[in-house]
Amino acid sequence: MRDTLLTAITANVASSNVSVSSELPWIQGDEPLYSINMKKFYLDEEQISNTVLFETLDDNKIYETETTMEGFLEVDAKNPLSDIDTVISGILGSKSAIANTTIAESNYSTETENDRITYTFEFRFITY
Amino acid sequence: MPAPINVSSGSQAIIALGNVSTQADITGANNAQILPYLQDITINNSTGVFRWKTLDSTAENAATTPATNSISMNIVVDETSFFGAANVENSVIADGIFGTSKNKTRVHFQVGLEGADSTDVTITGEGFISGLAPTVNMDSPVWVTPLTIEVDGDYTKGAVA
Repeated sequence: MRDTLLTAITANVASSNVSVSSELPWIQGDEPLYSINMKKFYLDEEQISNTVLFETLDDNKIYETETTMEGFLEVDAKNPLSDIDTVISGILGSKSAIANTTIAESNYSTETENDRITYTFEFRFITY
Repeated sequence: MPAPINVSSGSQAIIALGNVSTQADITGANNAQILPYLQDITINNSTGVFRWKTLDSTAENAATTPATNSISMNIVVDETSFFGAANVENSVIADGIFGTSKNKTRVHFQVGLEGADSTDVTITGEGFISGLAPTVNMDSPVWVTPLTIEVDGDYTKGAVA
């Protein structure tokens, strides 16, 4: 699922001021990669949760699978990207690339520290 | 000492269906259709009551009349068992639950209350499938349906051979 989402995000921001890394946002030294490489989007590993939707007497349980992923983008707060709205829209809209989901949601939040603004994207998918 | 019947594994509360009595076999033999994805099952044996009053009594008298028998359950819809699969012996397997209900085919059933091991208690009978109402919604996006077997005649208590 991460590969599909990453491919869609790469395509959706291809002509913008933001690039997309295939690496996980691991921490180099004391800083995560998205802080070291600003204007580069990083998608974290999938978090998967299986919960029982239906118990059955023959023990054939029906499971609900929730998959969540976080993405990170850090940019200069003093000089915001001119196309940041398009970039955000492209990243959020990439959720549609995941097929066979009952729920596909995406949202983002921001945090400003010193002269940097960090965009944290959250993707949530429900499958059965 | 009391011995409650509990369901502690996936092979204890089961129902087998067939279009002839031998196929109603909870061991799964004889081309039985073991219904998958049972969520719950209820064996109904509801007698009617005739009541009458007499002037010399302070309370009503009562007598029971023949029972209305039915087996009701809820199941998760399984494509194969609901719509059918190739089978020349058991029409319940071939036509599926949906086809058997639609065709009003008589079905024979055997319910296992404590499993399919030797001497385990069973209830058998025959009747007609009714009450299908498959439903799905976005909060619970997997098809489920109630299913009732309207029993024609009496139940027979037995045991697995």
